[in-house]
Amino acid sequence: MNNKNVLLKRLKICDFVLTETALYLDTHPEDKDALDYYNKHLNMRNETLDEYTRKYGTILRDKPQSEDKWDWVDNPWPWESEWSEK
Amino acid sequence: MWAYEKKLEYPVNIKNSNPALAKVIISQLGGPHGELGASMRYLSQRYSMPYGEVRGVLTDVGTEELAHLEMVSAILYQLTKDMSIEDIKRSGFDTYFVDHTSSIYPQFASGNPFSAETFAVTGDVIADLTEDLAAEQKARVSYDNLLRLVDDPDVRDPLKFLRQREIVHFQRFGEALRITQDKLDSKNFYAFNPAFDKCPKNKKKK
Repeated sequence: MNNKNVLLKRLKICDFVLTETALYLDTHPEDKDALDYYNKHLNMRNETLDEYTRKYGTILRDKPQSEDKWDWVDNPWPWESEWSEK
Repeated sequence: MWAYEKKLEYPVNIKNSNPALAKVIISQLGGPHGELGASMRYLSQRYSMPYGEVRGVLTDVGTEELAHLEMVSAILYQLTKDMSIEDIKRSGFDTYFVDHTSSIYPQFASGNPFSAETFAVTGDVIADLTEDLAAEQKARVSYDNLLRLVDDPDVRDPLKFLRQREIVHFQRFGEALRITQDKLDSKNFYAFNPAFDKCPKNKKKK
């Protein structure tokens, strides 16, 4: 697996952990362990997102790769198999 | 994938409940020119668009329409928050109340539930973008008509914002259509469909 796909996989894993933990926290907002778990993965996710964006392009519209270029519209898009191979 | 931001795109602060207005404004939620159909139209169409700029416009406008869905819902919520049973009977809101109490259900002002029949996804770039231009104009007309019916400035203010967004979206879709046509054969824009005729086997016989 190349570095891009390693980062992308880490990002997807972190995002899924955040999704799953957020759902749990919605019904257990007082659970300190779950909150710590959420924050730990949130930090990991933000670091991964920053590194991925810097190296491979914009994922979040409000965290663009560059101030000089609008790469948001670049092909391919996530529903294409080329997206994870570009 | 999507993420929710816990804020409205534009503020909605309505002081006086008015179920009669909610009864007509609900069309911009789930009616024929409503925000639910708008978001589903654009977010569904983007998969058959070959050009990044057009994919970007459809993704971003489709996402903004979801924020408008929330704004219209907030208007409906605030217009029906403190209704008395007398208000409900007098305003004609009773026909909605019987099934939905004061919750938010996507339907036409006429009472028909939301239907995907209100929009099209043809898989043809020019046909879809032309539909999108018409959709924005139709939504603008519905906001124009609502503004003819509504006197309360607290309700008019977010409706005016939403109307203005339809005009901006119309402009962007016009540019998306121009970008598309610039990439096609100017002598015959319909010579092939760039969303489908990529595979040599599917080339139209001439």
